[in-house]
Amino acid sequence: MNNNYTQTEQLIQYLDGELETAARQDLEAKLASEPILAAELESLSLAQEAVRSYGLKSRIGDIHREMMNEFAVDEAPVVGMTPARIFRYTARIAAILLVVVGAAVLFQYYTASNEQLFRDNFTPFALHTTRGAAPEALEQSYQKGDYATVVGNYKNIASPSQAERFLYANAALQTSDAPAAIAALTALQEANKTAGTHAYEEDAEYYLALAYLKNNEAAKALPLLEKIHADTGHTYHDKVSGWMLRKAERLAK
Amino acid sequence: MRSNQSTERNLPDSLILQMIRTQAAPDEAIRQLYRMQFGLTKSYIKQQSGSDEDAEDIFQEVILNFIELVKKDKFRGDSSISTFLYAMTRNTWLNELKKRGRAKARDEKFEKARDTEEMDVSHYIVNRELKSLLLNLVDGLGDTCKKILVAFYFENMAMRDILNLLDYENEQVVRNKKYKCLKQLEQNISGNTQLAANLKSLLSYE
Repeated sequence: MNNNYTQTEQLIQYLDGELETAARQDLEAKLASEPILAAELESLSLAQEAVRSYGLKSRIGDIHREMMNEFAVDEAPVVGMTPARIFRYTARIAAILLVVVGAAVLFQYYTASNEQLFRDNFTPFALHTTRGAAPEALEQSYQKGDYATVVGNYKNIASPSQAERFLYANAALQTSDAPAAIAALTALQEANKTAGTHAYEEDAEYYLALAYLKNNEAAKALPLLEKIHADTGHTYHDKVSGWMLRKAERLAK
Repeated sequence: MRSNQSTERNLPDSLILQMIRTQAAPDEAIRQLYRMQFGLTKSYIKQQSGSDEDAEDIFQEVILNFIELVKKDKFRGDSSISTFLYAMTRNTWLNELKKRGRAKARDEKFEKARDTEEMDVSHYIVNRELKSLLLNLVDGLGDTCKKILVAFYFENMAMRDILNLLDYENEQVVRNKKYKCLKQLEQNISGNTQLAANLKSLLSYE
């Protein structure tokens, strides 16, 4: 196999989304510095587009013939719509709706990602619902939505309280620092365990599950979500639907 | 055109667009577009000195372009699908008349007199000649090449399924054949000065 073959094959694999991350990054670096290679990529991309257009054109041609036959039959004189026709059209629409809704559901299920599941379910903790007062400075910054300050201030606290840990974890999720959120929420749970307390216990379970999703660790999020879903008295029970659980199960596999 | 076609215009635009975008039922979406719009297209083109055959050709071309625009998210739904298709039909037909050298004064006058508020879709329509040239290049490939490439890139079939369609020993042979076919098409495209000069606009569909 010569060099040109290999290079073109790589470009095709790149366009087909079949290249591994490292190879893709190497190729992208080459493309940025080699205009001839970039031009070949554009031609190949257009070739693929042309094939898709050609396929679609052929498909439209097939349906066109079918529809011309249907219209020709419909040209026969009929006055109004018979009940049978109304039923046929209604059944057809119902079938289409069923297919579309079913396909949309399957599409959602199979294309769900950890990040997507996180985004669909994450709403920042509303401070007015906290049980117990949070420290003033952190609370004020959190209420203002100044999450960077919450994160910065938290790092200067030698022995954070449970409330501080919880607010910090939420701020970390807001700033996309899932590992920091996981560490704070895990510390919160450990502290509760050691002291035999229940501060922010259920909140921490829910937000820890979301933090794991954000961190692409659906397998760790799943047991927490299962627990919340199974416990009808859990504060966050209503937020963990069976559908959310199914998606998390698929991602955890 | 019989009135019963209008009774079948019953799927909302949003559903038709979803059927196209998600590939949930693309064929049914095309059928719906025919039921809701073909009659209007035929009437318009026949009024504008076209034949039944012209109407059929133009409609197929408009549907092809419309579906590609929807798939590329270039149709934002600012107007109804019907209004958009009608505007595309007018634009395509006037372009066709010019191409045929039959852009008589009447047509030009008609074009100039178009209501300024009418939707301008000209920027949505790729250069028709270039598109036609491109499709002809694909058509010029051998039957096996077309079968493999269309199955892979349009039908989204897996290699093992494509293997079942063809008389080849294994997937690797099909993979090699696919490479050669695509490379051949790419060389034909880059060897065509008109196409090579317009690669970017053809790819961006603008």
